[in-house]
Amino acid sequence: MAPALRLALIVAIAAAGLFAPALLGGTGAVYSAAVLIAIFAVMAYGLDMIVSDLGEVSLAHTVFFAIGAYAAAMLATRLGLGPVATLLGAIILAVVAAAILGVVTLRLKEFVFSLVTYAVAVVAMTVAANWEFLGGSDGLRGIPPFTLAPLGLRAETDAQLWPVAYGLLLVTLYLMHAFRRSRLGQAAVMVHLNPRLATMSGIDPKRTRLQIFLLSAPVTAAAGWLYAYQRSFVSADLLETYFLILMLTSVVLVGRRLLLGPLIGVALVQIQEKFFSFGGYVDKIVLGSVLVVVLAFLPGGLVGLGRSLVALGRRRGESVAGSMPDVRTVKD
Amino acid sequence: MNLAQQLINGIVLGHAYALIAIGWTVLLGVARLVNFGHGQMYMLGAFVTWYTVSRLGLPYLVAVPAAMLAGVAVGYVMQRVMLQLTLKQDLVSIMIVTLGFGYVLNGAAALVFGSTGQILETPLSRLDIYWGDLWLTWQDVALVVAAIVFFIVLKYVIDHTAVGRTARMVAEDPPLALLAGINVKKVYLGVFAFEGAAVALAAALVAPRTPILTSMGFDEVIVTFVVVVLGGIGSVLGSYFAGLALGLFTAFFGALVSPAYTTAAAFLVMIAMLVLRPGGFAAAPGSR
Repeated sequence: MAPALRLALIVAIAAAGLFAPALLGGTGAVYSAAVLIAIFAVMAYGLDMIVSDLGEVSLAHTVFFAIGAYAAAMLATRLGLGPVATLLGAIILAVVAAAILGVVTLRLKEFVFSLVTYAVAVVAMTVAANWEFLGGSDGLRGIPPFTLAPLGLRAETDAQLWPVAYGLLLVTLYLMHAFRRSRLGQAAVMVHLNPRLATMSGIDPKRTRLQIFLLSAPVTAAAGWLYAYQRSFVSADLLETYFLILMLTSVVLVGRRLLLGPLIGVALVQIQEKFFSFGGYVDKIVLGSVLVVVLAFLPGGLVGLGRSLVALGRRRGESVAGSMPDVRTVKD
Repeated sequence: MNLAQQLINGIVLGHAYALIAIGWTVLLGVARLVNFGHGQMYMLGAFVTWYTVSRLGLPYLVAVPAAMLAGVAVGYVMQRVMLQLTLKQDLVSIMIVTLGFGYVLNGAAALVFGSTGQILETPLSRLDIYWGDLWLTWQDVALVVAAIVFFIVLKYVIDHTAVGRTARMVAEDPPLALLAGINVKKVYLGVFAFEGAAVALAAALVAPRTPILTSMGFDEVIVTFVVVVLGGIGSVLGSYFAGLALGLFTAFFGALVSPAYTTAAAFLVMIAMLVLRPGGFAAAPGSR
């Protein structure tokens, strides 16, 4: 396909996506689900960079999510800043937090890195719940609606917020795509799959990890920023394990290093929870079990499962078609 | 602040922490495995004990083994599900799987036991000991004694018995152990079952000290991390002293500074340890 045609097609699909909730009935529930899917997908893409590309597990991404939300809430309610300024604040704070955490954990690998990031998340929850400056256990209430006066936008409902959430999602998708084609993205994969080769090629694994950490934190924080406007309040529950498990499940469910993987993963989980819920506790069991089963039995995710089913079907078909296996299958 | 009282609190807390962490210590030291569902297994142990005592009306001495049995079952199932990942030593996936298991346990416990807080009362937790103006309960005494006995037996088993030798060999070199005719899978399953039993025992002994909730377990995880880091990975004796040190630190920090931030303070101690001697920690077995 010609590049121009391809681009036109992508733009057309992206534009059509804006009307997806309207086509699906356009009810309040559909718009709420759509906004949450977009926000949580952006949240998951931040983690996706670390898990899928770098091959490590950061359990501190709920902290970046919460930093984004708290930054929006504090700056909007206490200083009366608008969404653009609060987004800037959220990104700066997330980068600073990621830099501190990244430097401290620079020399830690694999599970020690995860252990420290998990500890950060747990400690952040106790701090957020106890520190009066952040609203303590009550959290912060009364975040004004998302308003962009120059565009004449004032989002009182999820339907009005949807274009913003969708825009954020598209920007994130573009960023992920650009990241995977960038030098940094290539370096990450090499560090992940062949650290020795990476070192020989002049790539510093520690530096690469730190850079990706600094890039991924603001992505997740941006999701938190919009979530604060969507909910109009923030509290320590943003640091609950739910968001962490949701992120991890969406990243691994469909398949790693697929651009739309986390988005589809989040959508599947949210649709189940919003429209086919079995009650909060059973939903927890379902979400946790999906995570366990995918990692333990479907290393390639749903796409990997699909591929092996197709391969299995083809092999069956071939063995029925002719008793003599052809050269290609023998070679396989 | 009463110095002697805080000292007693610290010693009791310290033994509690050492006992809470011991499952992880063995898991890491012997099998080079991790379990992020540790806190939720602690929660489950506490609730099984509570259910057996206050709902089934059975004696505490029956409830403790019941909780340990539940711990063994959960540990076994968990390891059974992720056995392939363990054999591949895929630590990244193991971490996420254990986290997922913790989440499932959390949901299942809330479904079965309800989400309201409960008080786990044992015959011993109601018996106070007053000694001048110092105070503790017989539950505290039982906890300290049980922890000491547990550590002595464990140290002996790992260092001097056939079971301990097998486990250590698997930890050193799984393929070689396999060649030597050791059933590696069995060892992994056994170690995880042990982890479940140990944390359930800790829960049955420690949980009566505070109200229990199905959402708890996070403080216990931080405690475990700190003890494992301070004590040196896989060192049984090290984790005993690390637990004790952390207990004393927590007691005095809670009394002098703020009880709300003890977890955060313990975490800062751990970070300081990691930054000050990262080489020592990073070079330890299991942190590959």
